[in-house]
Amino acid sequence: MVMYVIKVSLYGVIRLQAGISHFESTASTLSELKEKIPNVSRKEADDLIVLVNGTAVKKKYKFKDGDEVVFMSPAGGG
Amino acid sequence: MATNYGGYMGKVLRINLSTKEVSEYPFSDEERKLYIGGKTMAAKILSDHLTGNEKAFSEDNLLVITTGPMTGSGAPSSSRFNISTLSPLTGYITSSNCGGNFGYYLKKAGLDALVISGKCENPTWIEIQNDTVLFHEADDLWGLKTSETQEKLDEKLTMKNGRVRKNGKICIGPAGENQVLYASIISNERVSGRGGTGAVMGWMKLKAVCASGNKEVKVIEKEKMVKHTQKWFKYLRKHPLTGNQLPKMGTAGLVSAMQMKSILSTKNYQYGQYDKFEDISGEKLAEEYNIVNKGCLTCPIRCARTVEVNGKQVKGPELETLVLLGSGILNNDLKSILRWNYELDELGMDTISCANTLSYAMEANEKGLWDNGLVFSEIDDISKVFEDIAYARGIGAELALGSKRLAEKYGGKEFAINAKGMELAAYEPRKTVGLGLGYAVSNRGGCHLNGGYLVILEGLGLSIDPTTPRGKADLTMMFQDLMEMISATGQCLFTSYAFFPSPLMNHPNSWYTKLVNKILPYCGGVVRFINKFPEIAFFHLPVFHHTKAFELVTGMKMPFGNYLRAGERGYNLERIVNARFGVDESKDSLPKRLTDVPQDPNKPETKVPLETMKKVYYKARGWDEKGLPTKKTIERLKLDGDVRDKG
Ligand code: SF4
Repeated sequence: MVMYVIKVSLYGVIRLQAGISHFESTASTLSELKEKIPNVSRKEADDLIVLVNGTAVKKKYKFKDGDEVVFMSPAGGG
Repeated sequence: MATNYGGYMGKVLRINLSTKEVSEYPFSDEERKLYIGGKTMAAKILSDHLTGNEKAFSEDNLLVITTGPMTGSGAPSSSRFNISTLSPLTGYITSSNCGGNFGYYLKKAGLDALVISGKCENPTWIEIQNDTVLFHEADDLWGLKTSETQEKLDEKLTMKNGRVRKNGKICIGPAGENQVLYASIISNERVSGRGGTGAVMGWMKLKAVCASGNKEVKVIEKEKMVKHTQKWFKYLRKHPLTGNQLPKMGTAGLVSAMQMKSILSTKNYQYGQYDKFEDISGEKLAEEYNIVNKGCLTCPIRCARTVEVNGKQVKGPELETLVLLGSGILNNDLKSILRWNYELDELGMDTISCANTLSYAMEANEKGLWDNGLVFSEIDDISKVFEDIAYARGIGAELALGSKRLAEKYGGKEFAINAKGMELAAYEPRKTVGLGLGYAVSNRGGCHLNGGYLVILEGLGLSIDPTTPRGKADLTMMFQDLMEMISATGQCLFTSYAFFPSPLMNHPNSWYTKLVNKILPYCGGVVRFINKFPEIAFFHLPVFHHTKAFELVTGMKMPFGNYLRAGERGYNLERIVNARFGVDESKDSLPKRLTDVPQDPNKPETKVPLETMKKVYYKARGWDEKGLPTKKTIERLKLDGDVRDKG
């Protein structure tokens, strides 16, 4: 499988937990990338809202060159 | 007039500022049962006095300050009190809920509410201690900003032993004194912000009210209530919104989520996204500026932020202020927003209306309609502009009038972002159309909370289709009624967010959350049925602790269905009073930018289909095509006594 360098941004309380706002990582699938968020377990990562290039994607999404990923904790109420 | 119910002190005080007369205002147990407290109790009092001919700045107006039966009961987030009056901004009823300590101490003084009328000859402050009401000259306080006013009042309330008597206060700043139409009232650091209650207090020449006393709130089932409260605290602490997001990031935590959902009002609601959103985000606030989170009395959520401004620890900005003074005017300097937030509280001005009036003015200038020198993203002189507004100087005297009046003078009604004259909150509604409906029909004008806060289903919480009108009218009605009642009881609306079962919030990618998101818009019929016959819910819901707590405190029967019905009654009562002042279907509107211009030019559905939703909403509410409650609805809600021809 081809690995891509993916730009990742974190938002919401998960960012406070991870202690990092943005990072780059190599992965070929979304599932793989979920394993690589600092201080965040795979189970926790599964419950994050995921956007690739600003849109929601399927769980088994395979990356393409230049993809940018957002992981965000669910947020509401203000 | 004593009461047989728990939660109430059984006494409402009428204070006439012109004559300095103080008397008991009759409010019976029968009325308590129907009108509960808070904004609904205030609406009843206003309904009994207002004919439709009064003006906000006149001796015929009333400033009604109410608590609810849950205020001071020890229930979570139950320090709230409400201020209602005829709004100088809208000309209709406004109700503004505040989390400061005044409500708690008003009850300590043995009072459920104050009904203030008339006008003082000279600046005055009022001291209430148990049964004593004293009027004091306030010449030395007049002109002071709000924190200095409160400090000075504490000096005056210092006892012989050198200790300050425990008290709760409300006061106004220079903006209220100068009758800025969106002036606020401050209690501690919390704000009764919306609708210009502070301007009415300023017109009355009433600088402040302090309350203190040693009375206790009677709880009917004390032991059971203690247990229930413990369970409730635990539930709120475990819930992802009330136990995690709000305590850790406050409402500011929504900025990024709003950006992702394209509902972050940007450049006076021209867009739903801001490329520099990270600079004004809750994450940045938490990482770089928040010192500690704070809360109102008895609140486990503690959503307030503390930041440093000019070497002082002060309250941090809420989401609305971050967005409207950030992306709203294309300003990515977070530090400036922290400072302005503090300055606006000190001057006593609503940050939402002020910011939206400012962004209207910037756009009017950009479009050549009004040469006022205000430019998007140019922020150097903004502090001075705020001072000028508060002291009604130069251009500030015009900005003090709000966006609606300015658009009538200079043009640009389509981008004067208000409903019924009150400026909208920070959520850009073209991608949360249910909230768009809520803004338009809300009794107090462009308010997200009085509007039912449907954005919590349309992207911030759940993720139902945000642009379909399907199901939105019925859901809006249900959420409006629910929030109306929570507010009436004296609790914080944020407790309602735990209504959504944790698994739905915690697992947004699960099959069941996806299913709920898919089917909810199609449940309009079911929701309509519950709205129509709420009595079928004759039980307490395990995710909604409010109803049982209400029963334990007051001794009144209050299953979920009755709770909804009481909220519906309150909502309709405000509408009935507003109708006397000319509110009807034509006033339930939004600026054309939001209803006629798609946010995304390639997606025609990204605008608020207001007329379609309004028709369904009126039907759901039992209102006629003019948007007024039908005779049948009025009878069903036992509001017959509140309907009268304009006098
Ligand atoms: S949730 Fe926030 S606003 Fe509500 S009572 Fe608690 S601290 Fe106050």
